[in-house]
Amino acid sequence: MSAPTLPSPARRPSSPPGAFVAIYKLLLRNLATRGRIAGIGALGVLTMIAAAVVGNAHLIDPLRSGTRFVDGGLTIFVPVGALVFASAALGDLVDDSTLVYLWLRPLPARVPVLAAFAAAVTICLPLIGVPMVISAVLVDGSPELIAGTAESVGVAVVAYCAVFTMWGIRIRRALPWGLAYILLWEGFVASAGQTASKVALRAYTRSLLSEATGVGLRLATFTAATGLIVPMVVGVLCLVYATRVLRRTDIA
Amino acid sequence: MIVADDVSKWFGDLVAVSEVSFEVGPGVTALLGPNGAGKSTVLRMLCGLTGPARGTIRVLGADPRTDLEVRRRIGLVPQQEGVFEAQDALGFVELAAVLHGLPDPAAAARHALGVVELDPDDPRRISTYSKGMRQRVKVAQAIVHDPAVIVLDEPLTGLDPRQRLHMVELFQRFGAEGRCVVVSSHVLDEVERFGSRVLVIAQGRLAAVGDFRAIRDLMDDRPHRIRVRTDRPRELAGGLLERSGVLGVQLADASTVIIDTSEVATFRATVAVVAREVDARLREVVPLDDDLDSVFRYLVGQP
Repeated sequence: MSAPTLPSPARRPSSPPGAFVAIYKLLLRNLATRGRIAGIGALGVLTMIAAAVVGNAHLIDPLRSGTRFVDGGLTIFVPVGALVFASAALGDLVDDSTLVYLWLRPLPARVPVLAAFAAAVTICLPLIGVPMVISAVLVDGSPELIAGTAESVGVAVVAYCAVFTMWGIRIRRALPWGLAYILLWEGFVASAGQTASKVALRAYTRSLLSEATGVGLRLATFTAATGLIVPMVVGVLCLVYATRVLRRTDIA
Repeated sequence: MIVADDVSKWFGDLVAVSEVSFEVGPGVTALLGPNGAGKSTVLRMLCGLTGPARGTIRVLGADPRTDLEVRRRIGLVPQQEGVFEAQDALGFVELAAVLHGLPDPAAAARHALGVVELDPDDPRRISTYSKGMRQRVKVAQAIVHDPAVIVLDEPLTGLDPRQRLHMVELFQRFGAEGRCVVVSSHVLDEVERFGSRVLVIAQGRLAAVGDFRAIRDLMDDRPHRIRVRTDRPRELAGGLLERSGVLGVQLADASTVIIDTSEVATFRATVAVVAREVDARLREVVPLDDDLDSVFRYLVGQP
């Protein structure tokens, strides 16, 4: 090591070029464990098998059945898959105390947060989206259902990944608490009525699906624009909050 | 380079650090304290990993908690073993270099790994490394960006004696280059070789700061203990007992006298005179309790 020759801070940008990509690659590798991929992959395979079984039944209205099938996936498979990956994106680093190696760098807190979110979306979109779209093809195969599935699942993955990225850094034992949120809040409380459904992402994503297929779903009362905008706004707010939490949190 | 002013930190009802003030300049400073004394909390605050509940900390004139720019100038070796297990050493250190915006991260990482005597071309994952090798990787990521302030929390843990020696020499070199090096360690023998400047934390409070030998001299309430080897211990002991400043004399064995004195400088002059008077030959005069270990024990109240 030579004697310290420190550059003037003003000569360097506040976020070094390549920092986002470097953290993104690191977190992508951290997230893509065999266990997680196998677990969520197995859920995807099960979803497709179930879709094949439903599709081979003599359905009176395949589009309606297919829409309801995809709605089921939006209720459980999509949020659980997003939870598993997104909550771990920064949550794992909190748990094993390696967050310090990112935190103690001259980076705005938004850089690791956005990299974590991007890494989670990168894994979840193919791992969750592809089985869901294939399932839509297996049940009905109509362009409306395939487009509606792609759109609603895409929006759901992005929104849930943002929510659970924040969740992972804000809440200890994010996985069980996240499952409780999905099952109790998104699945139960938010289904209680029109007002309660407004505070659940599921109501917006199923509205997107319903709008695309023209099949009415319970509590799917929002327009396509609302169904798209609200989850995105929620996602952005969660990422902003996660950035604030990361900036202020005590690092082990 | 580091200024802590009336810093306190508590976690719920637990007061981890209480009203601590100190300044640390260039060179190596050892942060000492028993387990749970608050050393790691102090180090974390110095790096901005946690903010003080009260008081202020300035590193190079800036608040390390909020000032991103000052983080370019701090290198930290954290205590925890966790690293990015799936990476190899070069990837881990290169990541640090990239995040610091170094112009040639790969070259900087190779250089830093070389400094800690690790092979940059070792393809193994860090998860396969021994504790000592991990420790050296952690040191490499802390120095890759050539920081002005280096904070090391128990950096010698897991290192074999040769590696410890190498690390101690490395830290001394950093200090000699004008960097501010703060090292916490419980291996007092090694710490003593960093240099003589210490910060002692006990029960969350600053027990002492400065050169530990000077600190020892200021401990008027603790008699200095000195061992004298001679061929006529009884006669020497008798002669010394009559002198002022000698608080106690003990015949340890057939050739050794242990003396407690409140005036070390006076004693050093007196012992030769008394030896001549009683016709004793002095073979050794050794202070027993002005080493770091003794000073540390006095300060933290350990027996």
